[in-house]
Amino acid sequence: MNSRSKRLIRSIFHIHRSSSMFLLYEYDIFWAFLIISSAIPILAFLISGVLAPVKKDPEKLSSYESGIEPMGDAWLQFRIRYYMFALVFVVFYVETVFLYPWAMSFDVLGVPVFIEAFIFVLILIVGSVYAWRKGALEWS
Amino acid sequence: MDLPGPIHDFLLVFLGSGLILGGLGVVLLTNPIYSAFSLGLVLVCISLFYILSNSHFVAAAQLLIYVGAINVLILFAVMFMNGSEYYKDFNLWTIGNGLTSLVCTNTSWYGVIWTTRSNQIIEQDLISNSQQIGIHLATDFFLPFEFISIILLVALIGAIAVARQ
Repeated sequence: MNSRSKRLIRSIFHIHRSSSMFLLYEYDIFWAFLIISSAIPILAFLISGVLAPVKKDPEKLSSYESGIEPMGDAWLQFRIRYYMFALVFVVFYVETVFLYPWAMSFDVLGVPVFIEAFIFVLILIVGSVYAWRKGALEWS
Repeated sequence: MDLPGPIHDFLLVFLGSGLILGGLGVVLLTNPIYSAFSLGLVLVCISLFYILSNSHFVAAAQLLIYVGAINVLILFAVMFMNGSEYYKDFNLWTIGNGLTSLVCTNTSWYGVIWTTRSNQIIEQDLISNSQQIGIHLATDFFLPFEFISIILLVALIGAIAVARQ
């Protein structure tokens, strides 16, 4: 049997194999990895929960503060600057996700598309300069 | 490992039950941080559904944007609430709860029953998913692409102006 008819049979086998199911066979390693990496922490917690002895005394239950006696409360007021950073992060993250498909198809598109993406990034640079000047990026 | 039909159906049922449990957790858990994490579980299940439907780029974008950015923002907003304001009198069966649960469980059954699985032959394309999305975004939809940048700019300016007060 020459290689040409072997290739023909293999291509027919591919088409037949994908007619009754979706193209999931590319992702079988991914599902195996997901299942194993979910099972290992669950197993670790279960085994140590079963095997470890539990003896509570007040010194074990107090919070750790680098070896000294803990002073004050462990709960702090949540500050607004954390939220400002998360906000600016979200906007530029969405911009980055829009740049991914442009980058994937960059070699088949031409110069006009490059200029369009440049305008896209430029408008968002205006936004980042606004955030900078208004103090949304101040840490202290 | 070759994934035939039954494993695909098993994954569908598994992810669907995870989705429903996560949704119930968002609504019924009393601690708002637990319900924010349960929302994260719902969004991860939706992302895995996209993988089952062969849209890999949308699955990755869903994980990145929804779980990584929007769920984190929701968690930060939940952290601003005081711990002592949790529900003391947790009345489960109010009129609003009953009405919403009736509406949500009984309106979409017709759409589900009339959906049929197509028997078409699915082959692998020469150009991958994200390259096709990039080509369409840059040629057919380039005006919405520029409008998206303006929308993001407006959202950034508006949110900073509101949060600074």
